[in-house]
Amino acid sequence: MRMTKLKADAQALLFLLPFLIVYLLFTVWPMIKGVQMSLYKWTLIKRIKYVGWHNYQNMFHDQEFWASLWHSTIFVLLTTPTMIILAIILALIANRNSRLQKFYRSVFFLPSILSVAVASFLGLFMFQPYTGFLNSLLHLVHMLPAGKEIFWLTETNLAWIAVGFLTLWWTVGFNFILYLSAMQDIPDEIYEAARLDGATDSAVFWQITLPLLAPITKTITMLQIIASFKVFLQIYIITGGGPLDQTRSVIQYIWQTGFRKNNLGYAATMSYMLFFILLVLSAIQYGMNNRKEAQMR
Amino acid sequence: MKKLLVMSLAALFSISLLLSACGGGSKNDGTSSPSASGAQSSAPASESAAPSDNGAKVSLSFWTLFSGGDGDNMQAMIDEFNKTHPSIQVKNTKLEWGEYYTKLITAVGNGNGPDVGISHTSRLPDLIDQGVATPLDDVSADAGVDWASFNQNLLNATVVDGKHYAIPLDTHPFIMYYNKKLLRDAGMLGDDGKPKMDPGADGFVKFLTTLKEKLPPKVTPFALSNSNDDPYRLWWALYSQLGAHDVISDDLKSAQLDADKGAKAAQFIQDLYHKYNVIKLNDPDFYKNFQSGTAAIMMTGVWATGVWESTKGFEFGAMPIPKIFDRDATWGDSHTIILPTAKSEDPAKRKAALTFANWLADNGQIWAKAGHIPSKPSVFEKQAFKDLPYRSDYVSVADTVIFSKPSTKNWQIRDLALFKFLNEVWANKMTPADAMTKMQAEIQKVLDQ
Repeated sequence: MRMTKLKADAQALLFLLPFLIVYLLFTVWPMIKGVQMSLYKWTLIKRIKYVGWHNYQNMFHDQEFWASLWHSTIFVLLTTPTMIILAIILALIANRNSRLQKFYRSVFFLPSILSVAVASFLGLFMFQPYTGFLNSLLHLVHMLPAGKEIFWLTETNLAWIAVGFLTLWWTVGFNFILYLSAMQDIPDEIYEAARLDGATDSAVFWQITLPLLAPITKTITMLQIIASFKVFLQIYIITGGGPLDQTRSVIQYIWQTGFRKNNLGYAATMSYMLFFILLVLSAIQYGMNNRKEAQMR
Repeated sequence: MKKLLVMSLAALFSISLLLSACGGGSKNDGTSSPSASGAQSSAPASESAAPSDNGAKVSLSFWTLFSGGDGDNMQAMIDEFNKTHPSIQVKNTKLEWGEYYTKLITAVGNGNGPDVGISHTSRLPDLIDQGVATPLDDVSADAGVDWASFNQNLLNATVVDGKHYAIPLDTHPFIMYYNKKLLRDAGMLGDDGKPKMDPGADGFVKFLTTLKEKLPPKVTPFALSNSNDDPYRLWWALYSQLGAHDVISDDLKSAQLDADKGAKAAQFIQDLYHKYNVIKLNDPDFYKNFQSGTAAIMMTGVWATGVWESTKGFEFGAMPIPKIFDRDATWGDSHTIILPTAKSEDPAKRKAALTFANWLADNGQIWAKAGHIPSKPSVFEKQAFKDLPYRSDYVSVADTVIFSKPSTKNWQIRDLALFKFLNEVWANKMTPADAMTKMQAEIQKVLDQ
């Protein structure tokens, strides 16, 4: 019995090996190397000198780091709830019995297949002044007087709206698919029973659908928070972090520090700070889930 | 507990994805493998013209950052060189310009750098500091390089501590272009085909406001972007015209922004945007604006000449930036050729590389097709250069380019301190005086890091 288990493990390991080697070599090893880097003054080509905790101390006084971390947080606060609510709404629409069901599914998911550069440039063309779609539309319906332009990308608040909206349109499809499959997993009998009891549509939604979506919502929330904290390219392409670095995300700052300022050591330090923050968030989330499950029992 | 482990592993995994995402692959294919193709076939006897020691064939890898017209012209020059110098074969590796320096520095650090590379003059001090660029004086005489044959203003910007580190190829200063048809419509084009403009700041403003009055409202009097490079270059030009030189001290250690002159130059440009309204606000594409004939003048680097020339039926002129303040001065940078540090130094290779670099500079008439000003004044006398229109209208600018001081932090200062606050001035969100105070502090911060 024991032998067979060992044998099975060995077999499994054999199959895992190709991935494992690559994973250890290109993911785990660089991460360990990163810890070492964060303790050094380290440029793109060479290790300069050991600086101990200096990079970490430096980080706590670095206003630009905290500002960019706050910007990423704004982005998280802006996109996480909208991304979840919109995904549920879209999934509800696509889950109804309708001849357009297939059409809805593909249309809602379609933007997700675009690459970040394509999506961002579409966003640029939409929000650009003079020739952009949005301003032209506003001119057309006379909501914007002729000769006046809204500068979506150079006013901080508007830029956040533009970037948030673009990200929502571009990535909501992934959450939508997760919700749709979760909805299809809800047994029909429950709905039938509710109908027999004379439940209204809204009661069905609030009392059955939503509570049964709770587990997947937790997963999506966590994934979404992590994904949103990692925001970089679409902001970089659309606003470049401007105006006055007011939309610069923490990843952009890390990237600039490492590859533009040639300071990989400090960039590694900040990466680990972000890593730590995400770890704490995951732990809190996990703790909350556990307590709830314990209460339910 | 197991679940926690899985959770943290999941987080670990996602963050590792994140880390690797901004790493970017820097696989280089420029390792100088001496290609065997035809190496033996060329007869040493036919090499009498080529400077070669013993008929051995030298193969050079050359990394460039040029794209578009520049890229084609460079390739044409390399082909021509390979044809006329059978003993030296140059292989061109075109790299993405945005990633060029990162790749060059990393590759040289690993000992896999090219034999020949390109550097901007402004970037050279950083490359020297990092040990990427080598001094050339050991082989320059052998390779027949005559330092006196270069424009001295360009050459001096490549000399650090008395040593030559690069062969200047060109200069690409910031100049002014104008649409002849629109200027004629407004009655602002002289009989000599040049704009009718009174001297000084008032003259320039008057010129632009007159254009605004006389031309249809759809026409932009002055096409210029609203952020980053080009307005910054104009600011640098005007700041230098006022007599200031760079924003750091001569010892390169401290910020030394001349706040009065900087603010005066910035105020002048801010007024063009917001007081006289002669620049379109947040113009999404000011090149296109000028190219499609809806802007009267525009300012950018000379590389645009080739772009306008290839535009059908486009009647334009080129000239130096007007003397708005006290002296003629403009922003500019140079492409130069460097010999990156190699794992093991090979004098024959270095000599061949320098011969090639010098040949490129000697044949600047091909390079000038894109609009650049060649680095050797002797090229101006060549018929092939004279046959190119427009260039002769602005070759004089090469002497008035104010280069940055040889600081290793030039690009960081520009990107992190100057762009940032000047952009706010152009957006009318910060007064020039405030911006100068903030820039001074920010420059110091960059220098201290």
